[in-house]
Amino acid sequence: MSTPPRTRPGAPTIETARRAEAYLSAEELARAAGIRAATLARLIGLGLVEPMPNERRPAAPTFSAAAASRLRRMLRLHRDLGVNLTGAAIIVDLVERLEREPEEPSR
Amino acid sequence: MAVKFRDYYEVLGVPRTASADDIKRAYRQLARKHHPDLHPATERARAAERFKEINEAYEVLSDPDKRGKYDALGANWKSGMDFSPSGGDAGYARAAEWDDLGDVSDFFASLFGRGTRRTGQRGVRVTIPGSDIEAELPVTLEEMLHSARRRITLNGSRSLEVEIPRGAREGTVLRLAGQGEPGVNGGPPGDVYLRLRMIPHPRYRVAGDDLEMDLSLWPWQAVLGADVRIETPDGPVTLTVAPGTQTGRRLRLRGRGLPRPDGSRGDLYAVARIVVPERPSAAEREAYETLKQRAAVPADRPAGG
Repeated sequence: MSTPPRTRPGAPTIETARRAEAYLSAEELARAAGIRAATLARLIGLGLVEPMPNERRPAAPTFSAAAASRLRRMLRLHRDLGVNLTGAAIIVDLVERLEREPEEPSR
Repeated sequence: MAVKFRDYYEVLGVPRTASADDIKRAYRQLARKHHPDLHPATERARAAERFKEINEAYEVLSDPDKRGKYDALGANWKSGMDFSPSGGDAGYARAAEWDDLGDVSDFFASLFGRGTRRTGQRGVRVTIPGSDIEAELPVTLEEMLHSARRRITLNGSRSLEVEIPRGAREGTVLRLAGQGEPGVNGGPPGDVYLRLRMIPHPRYRVAGDDLEMDLSLWPWQAVLGADVRIETPDGPVTLTVAPGTQTGRRLRLRGRGLPRPDGSRGDLYAVARIVVPERPSAAEREAYETLKQRAAVPADRPAGG
């Protein structure tokens, strides 16, 4: 079996321009999270995944890339720690709040 | 290459005599504490390292086969000691060269190989997705305005060029699919998520889709009206200031704000701000003296106050 050549750390490899996604369709979001479209629809129904406010993109529901990152975190917490998805959503919210309002240094 | 011994009992904080239940309990407690997604972004990398160690230790100590093999090394090893697997199993000794997908320690690989990760049975290759990389990307206003391309370096070793999409703002997250940490055994690579942080601009402030700038006016310009040349992100324009313009009046330049995803743009507001000459010339001083004599001060608008 041959493995593709890999560059050693220390020798930077340069890749060509990447299109960065800021918005995803429902289909793209499901693929990004590695779940089925029906599962995503259920999570949206439960309010655990939220489309972007519609003012900017009126057509089909659109999701921010932040929603993809968030959903992937929720699914990892679910898979690794057995937290249910509602619990995982709460954890992700709390961690984000922690990031916005860092704890006062007490030392 | 020298491999360092790892004390898996120490990692989980259990004695060598610990039962399977003790080990499971210790693992669950530690996993609950060190899972990277439970930590703010700044501490995530450190937690991820620790989480990896804990999982590796649990993988060995929770599997009777692996635990037996590990225990057979003896109790005299200490964490960090140079380790080379004794005995004739050259296949394991070469394990560290198998591939460089690196989600397990070299020590683990030297004992069990890399292909047996998270499996009960030897030889079954289980795929593990790579981790996401989350980072902040400071961008200038010009880069947001022009959908500039930015070169970024990930983990100090890999460099990518990223296009800032139209409509991006402070706090916008960009996803680079599949550009995160590599997966194990052909598992999918993680993503990169870049949160944009705007570097404050010396002249323009961002308010939603709009930009704001100060428009400094001399008193006589504000009173008499004037044509004023200002710099906008799209180049200089001449702005007509109406007579009697007060501080705080907002003059709109339509369509010169930030681009929206649909291609339209917000507006640019020049906010009038009256400034006075700090060191008036003799002639100016004289003119102001005259003004003072002749001004009919409005009674309903006392100066000072």
